[in-house]
Amino acid sequence: MLRTGFFVIFLLLSSVLCLEDTVEEFQEQLSFKSLRDGRVASTFSFKTLLKDATPRDPQTLALDNDDSQHYTLFPLTLGQILRQYAITELHLTLNAGKWNYDSWGYPDEPGVGVGAELWAWMADGSSLSIDERWQGVRNALAGLFCASLGSLDEQRTTSPRLSFPPEGSLPDWGLPHELRHASHASEHVCTENLTPFLKLLPCKSLSGLAALLNPHRLFDADWHGMSLHVLWRPVGIEMRLNFQLVSDPLRISTNKKQDWSFASLFDRVVEKACPVAKSSRVIVDLPTYGVYRVHPEPSEILNGKAYYDLTNSNQVWDIGTMWPVDFEYPLSKPTEALLPFSVRRSLFGSTQDRGQLSIVVTNNQNETLQMLYLETMPWIVQFYLHTIRVHSDDIPSDNLVSNITYVLPVPHARPATFESVLTLPGHSTLTFTMDVAKTFLRYTEHPPDAQRGWDLPPAFLHPSYSHRTDLPTTLVASIHHPYLLI
Amino acid sequence: MNNRWRPLNFLRPAGDPNLARIKRRKALLSLIARRVSILKVALFIAGYVWMLAIPSSQLDRGVFIDENALQPGQVNTYWNWQQVHDADHFLSQLEFLRDSNATSEQRSQFIMNQFVKIGLSASTQDYEFTGVHKGVNGTNAYAMLSSPRVSGAEAMVISASWLSRTNEGDGTLNLRGVATVLAFSKFVKQYSLWARDLIFVISDGYMDGMQAWLSAYHGETQSNLRAQRLDLTSGVIFTAFNIDYPGHSLSHLGIFHEGVNGRLPNQDLINSFQHIARRTGVPVVLYDHKDEPEQLSWLPEAIRNHHEIKTYAAQARNLWRNVGYQASGRGSGVHGLFHKYRIDAFTMFALPATGPHGFYSLGRIIESTLRTTNNLLERLHASFFFYVMTNFDRFLKIGNYLPSAILISVAMMFGGLQVWVDAAWTKRQSEESKGPEPALMIWARRRRPVLQALFIMIGTHFFGAVTFFLLSSRWYNSISIGPLLLFPVTSLLPLVVPSFIPQNRSDSVAPLSLVLKAFNLCLSSTVISIITVLNFSLAACLAVALGIPLSADSLSSNKAVQMVKYSAYLGLGIGWILWGDMTKRMLWNWDVLGVWLLPFLCVVYFPLTLQAALVCII
Repeated sequence: MLRTGFFVIFLLLSSVLCLEDTVEEFQEQLSFKSLRDGRVASTFSFKTLLKDATPRDPQTLALDNDDSQHYTLFPLTLGQILRQYAITELHLTLNAGKWNYDSWGYPDEPGVGVGAELWAWMADGSSLSIDERWQGVRNALAGLFCASLGSLDEQRTTSPRLSFPPEGSLPDWGLPHELRHASHASEHVCTENLTPFLKLLPCKSLSGLAALLNPHRLFDADWHGMSLHVLWRPVGIEMRLNFQLVSDPLRISTNKKQDWSFASLFDRVVEKACPVAKSSRVIVDLPTYGVYRVHPEPSEILNGKAYYDLTNSNQVWDIGTMWPVDFEYPLSKPTEALLPFSVRRSLFGSTQDRGQLSIVVTNNQNETLQMLYLETMPWIVQFYLHTIRVHSDDIPSDNLVSNITYVLPVPHARPATFESVLTLPGHSTLTFTMDVAKTFLRYTEHPPDAQRGWDLPPAFLHPSYSHRTDLPTTLVASIHHPYLLI
Repeated sequence: MNNRWRPLNFLRPAGDPNLARIKRRKALLSLIARRVSILKVALFIAGYVWMLAIPSSQLDRGVFIDENALQPGQVNTYWNWQQVHDADHFLSQLEFLRDSNATSEQRSQFIMNQFVKIGLSASTQDYEFTGVHKGVNGTNAYAMLSSPRVSGAEAMVISASWLSRTNEGDGTLNLRGVATVLAFSKFVKQYSLWARDLIFVISDGYMDGMQAWLSAYHGETQSNLRAQRLDLTSGVIFTAFNIDYPGHSLSHLGIFHEGVNGRLPNQDLINSFQHIARRTGVPVVLYDHKDEPEQLSWLPEAIRNHHEIKTYAAQARNLWRNVGYQASGRGSGVHGLFHKYRIDAFTMFALPATGPHGFYSLGRIIESTLRTTNNLLERLHASFFFYVMTNFDRFLKIGNYLPSAILISVAMMFGGLQVWVDAAWTKRQSEESKGPEPALMIWARRRRPVLQALFIMIGTHFFGAVTFFLLSSRWYNSISIGPLLLFPVTSLLPLVVPSFIPQNRSDSVAPLSLVLKAFNLCLSSTVISIITVLNFSLAACLAVALGIPLSADSLSSNKAVQMVKYSAYLGLGIGWILWGDMTKRMLWNWDVLGVWLLPFLCVVYFPLTLQAALVCII
């Protein structure tokens, strides 16, 4: 009897494992990078692949006969939302802090705008319009992630023409696909968002790399953000959950060294592997300066990166880097800039009615750089396009801005969308200024804490490289708009 | 409707209610009109007495914290002897710089390097004023701490100017203030509890450096300022502290809060600071008054030592300082420049002494005050923006000081209206009288020359504007006898006005001087009551300077008396021009800092007195 029982259990287990192997795949990866200013950037990436699956065709929404959903690794709660609203591609980021491009370089995950950002590609042609489904998915995700995504309403939603191309592929249903994008800069990210994030992982935070996700340490980091990406490629539906953080070992430790390890950064170590993970890797970007020791000995070193394979290991892992000497902040600016360009965005003017939006972009390389510049603003800030002035190294050169697309704001209803292409000659600084008017607000239209003002959405700059496609392309710059009730 | 059942029936006499109302109003008006002279005097007396009563302890009240979020003094402070050691270390390096006569550029470069070594992003900013004040230039150094987890949308500033505010920037160096800011910037980097970015500014000079930095930060352009664009920017600045520590040690911390053009910071900020400083054990004073006033030695001992008198004397001295800073519009320190951009700021001034406090206490107080403002979710908006501080812990609400100037302004308005009404009437013999009995004197209406009076007024203001233009011209400032040239010109030129005025002294037209006086009084009254809310000290000064003098002017028949009166009014109006130093300082304040006092004096105040002077001679 006992033997039969074991046999049945074995059969069940093996069938589950077989199913996993063939239909669903889970991979986890954690990468570290020591930054120039003594900080350490770490990126957790959890990838689930649903093989041979396709997003729901919106035409079937009316029929209400969707395929039954049986997942072992893919989170059902998310799957239900995606199929309910027939979402082809979805990106959600929840971040806190300002990404310092100049000393941290490009992030591993490009979406680093402060607060919440959500964008989705959906096909038209269903009984439910795209906007109805957009509203539905917003509210469903708000419930799933305990974030105020419900406030990403039509007053914040835009559909930029070029700035957010789909990362995966769009299924060929013969239907046009459309983009919806919205961001909410004043969303505060905290542990109530992390708990639902962990619940989407097959091993939760019990084992594997996710065990390191200790909220006390994550939310003390200088910069932290989580993101969810769902996209479709011909091989299947891919879901990525990422957690990215920049910690300052010089702040959290008492000594003045840049040393870090799992234990020092997260106050935890990896004690057991996640049994369902097909692969589990830790990658340490080896610094190009100084004398240091990476511990323990990596299993492989390739292209300046140390690789550790934690798959199915039962060892206790506490990977880290140690420096023998104290860290010193570099006095001079580095000879080679981390990024091909740098950006500064500000809103000038201390009055209640007028202001000036200014973007200063510096091209750090020899080649001419073209970049797509996207500015979305709630209707409370109105652009005066005729006041656009472009200076290149303090010389007026209005011809450097081209291809302007502008969607007018509708008061109380729709934000403004401004897209244009900026051309930067090699080693030049381009200053783009535009006067703005601050609209008079009705009493009830002020946000809570009216004396604080509004957080305005970030701007997006996408450099278009002709010769390099390896770099992530978005750069975001955020500002705050104090609009006060007197 | 049955009248019997209406309440308060006795107030509603029978008959047409509208007619009754009109009668009532007429009776009331004539009651006031008949007694307007007494009323005027009563208002003047009440106003001036009230003004004198402002320093008394009967009108003020204790300060309190209005914004619950501030929670001052509720945190553990971590500033300790290690940080004092850091500050001492920075101080010795700064002293070396001072001894080696380092230039502005070298100093700012050094300070920037210290910030960079601490791990902050830092930069410098060159600035230079052109035009009249060509020599004013320097280099600011500043650094930004992007606080963990914060979007960088909001910021707080901690600043120190290279020159201390001692005697309005007489050259005393603020080395310990700068060292405090440097050590503090190193200290705050260890903590992740900051809710907004922190900006550290070491401004060059006394006021000029910060003016250049703030203008550049807010993207303001000033035609005579060439300031380098800032390499680093952060968000909206909510609060700012300026640290001034010129001595070796400190005994008290003084609060300086007046901003340029009479602006004041939110009182909660000052209240939190004084609360924290006293809890930390450092006594707080308003300004730098740590001793009791000595001017009372002529009073008998019994009166001198009376509590009420002592308080009055001490508070009157504080008030006098307040009026000096506020009415002149120059503000009481570097913090005053922030107010223009709606940033609440004040200076904590370490009163030089041989002890007992130093970096240790100061650092703790700064840390705790910064933590308090860090608690704020919004900009400071509760508490008071309109107040008069009589002591560090006592203040007057707006309702307790504003009426003094308003009463005087009302008295002037009544006076003006009285003259206006009087100008319309004249007594003349009745034409209808016949027979041998003396002619009946009757009141007859006459025309009032409004347009002429208005032209004269516009002309005087234009004349004031021209005077201002001359005063601020490069030519005037390059010659030393400028005042001696300009004063006679401005005082003699208006004497030609009477010759332009047609002399028709007919009974059917009111004398021009009366109409001019009426308008002059009404305009002065309006100016004073408007200024009361913008800059109370200035309004109070105007009320004192203009109130009685402008009401007392009249045309006299004697030419000599006319000229004496004329010159007295001009002395009151433009006499200050002879104090060349004062004019120079006002011009500097206007040109560099944008203080409105000089243009105000030239374009508003001087013309008002000139109008009164003209009343005496036309």
